[in-house]
Amino acid sequence: MKKYFPWAGLLGRLILGGVLLAAGLLKYQHLDKSQMAVRAYELLPISVANFFGISLPFLEIAVGVLLVLGAATRIAAAVGGSLMLIFIVGISQAWARGLSIDCGCFGGGGQVAPGATNYLPEILRDSALALIAIYLFRYPQSKLGLDRNTSNGEQING
Amino acid sequence: MANQKPGKDNFTRNLVVVVVVGVLLIMVGGTFLSKSSKPSAAIPASVSSSNGYGIVFNGDLKNVPVVDIYEDFQCPICQQFEKMNGDYLESLITDKKAKVVYHTLSFLGQESINAANAAACSADEGKFLSYHKTLYANQQPENSGAWSNDVLVVLGQAAGITSKSFTSCVNKMSYTGWVSNVAAAGAKANVNSTPTVFVNGKELDRKTEYFNPDKFKAAIERG
Repeated sequence: MKKYFPWAGLLGRLILGGVLLAAGLLKYQHLDKSQMAVRAYELLPISVANFFGISLPFLEIAVGVLLVLGAATRIAAAVGGSLMLIFIVGISQAWARGLSIDCGCFGGGGQVAPGATNYLPEILRDSALALIAIYLFRYPQSKLGLDRNTSNGEQING
Repeated sequence: MANQKPGKDNFTRNLVVVVVVGVLLIMVGGTFLSKSSKPSAAIPASVSSSNGYGIVFNGDLKNVPVVDIYEDFQCPICQQFEKMNGDYLESLITDKKAKVVYHTLSFLGQESINAANAAACSADEGKFLSYHKTLYANQQPENSGAWSNDVLVVLGQAAGITSKSFTSCVNKMSYTGWVSNVAAAGAKANVNSTPTVFVNGKELDRKTEYFNPDKFKAAIERG
């Protein structure tokens, strides 16, 4: 069983890293909209939300690239997983408070018509990605990565 | 790699980590610099930085409602809003019943920036309102290539703008800096959707007051 872990790790890296990379690149095209998406959660003071809206795409791209390459897998998985938890909290509170927003996960975002929201699938998707991140944090060894000892099944740090 | 021995140094991996993080840090820094508002950017006629860089009509009137409209020329819902309430807003301006401030946002991409820039050029010619109307009347799907600067110049002629200065203003994108200042001011004003309308600084109720002309009028008259 354990000998398949590096392959599972590779798959997890590609899924989590690929999703983060795509999300970051799509947001990067429209940073004004990314800021707007964060403001629409009505969770952060406006200036902080604007800061977060600009920074987030770059953070996602960095973590996505590192995961795809398998460099510093463990740290990247920890950051990626934390982002997913933040997204889940953000979407859940928007849902609970009855806001009508698009999550802005892959660009877009902002207020939408009541009834056009899509909260449950968004939360389920982010939860699945968070589980992948937790797996990668626990078992960061994987095939075809730049990290040392990536495929010999030993625990590594960083 | 797959057959690396334990203990082999991690040079490649560390280099990759440093390069990836470094490049993105530089990019994020550059982005913040370019997003910060540029007080020195040229501003078109009738724009006031104290009104969020919006294009102001009836700025000198006292004791009238102040109506701030945030819109993106490419946004289809803004077109609907314009169809429903555009004439009424124009009548407020011509009858001097309200101070109206247009904020031309550019969320939807390059063609929104082109259109906002061209609208600023039309303000210099004193034709903002008719150009505004012409743009919405000729709105095409977002970023479909319809609003190149050449087309925006032709639309200007349709709106009665024939001067050479308009043509060169549109083609040179003279007000790009202003367009990004408008966007930054909209972000500070917590505008999360287009259109967004504030009357005396208070946002109208999106569920009821935007797309019902009677309620919209009532909301503005209430002030």
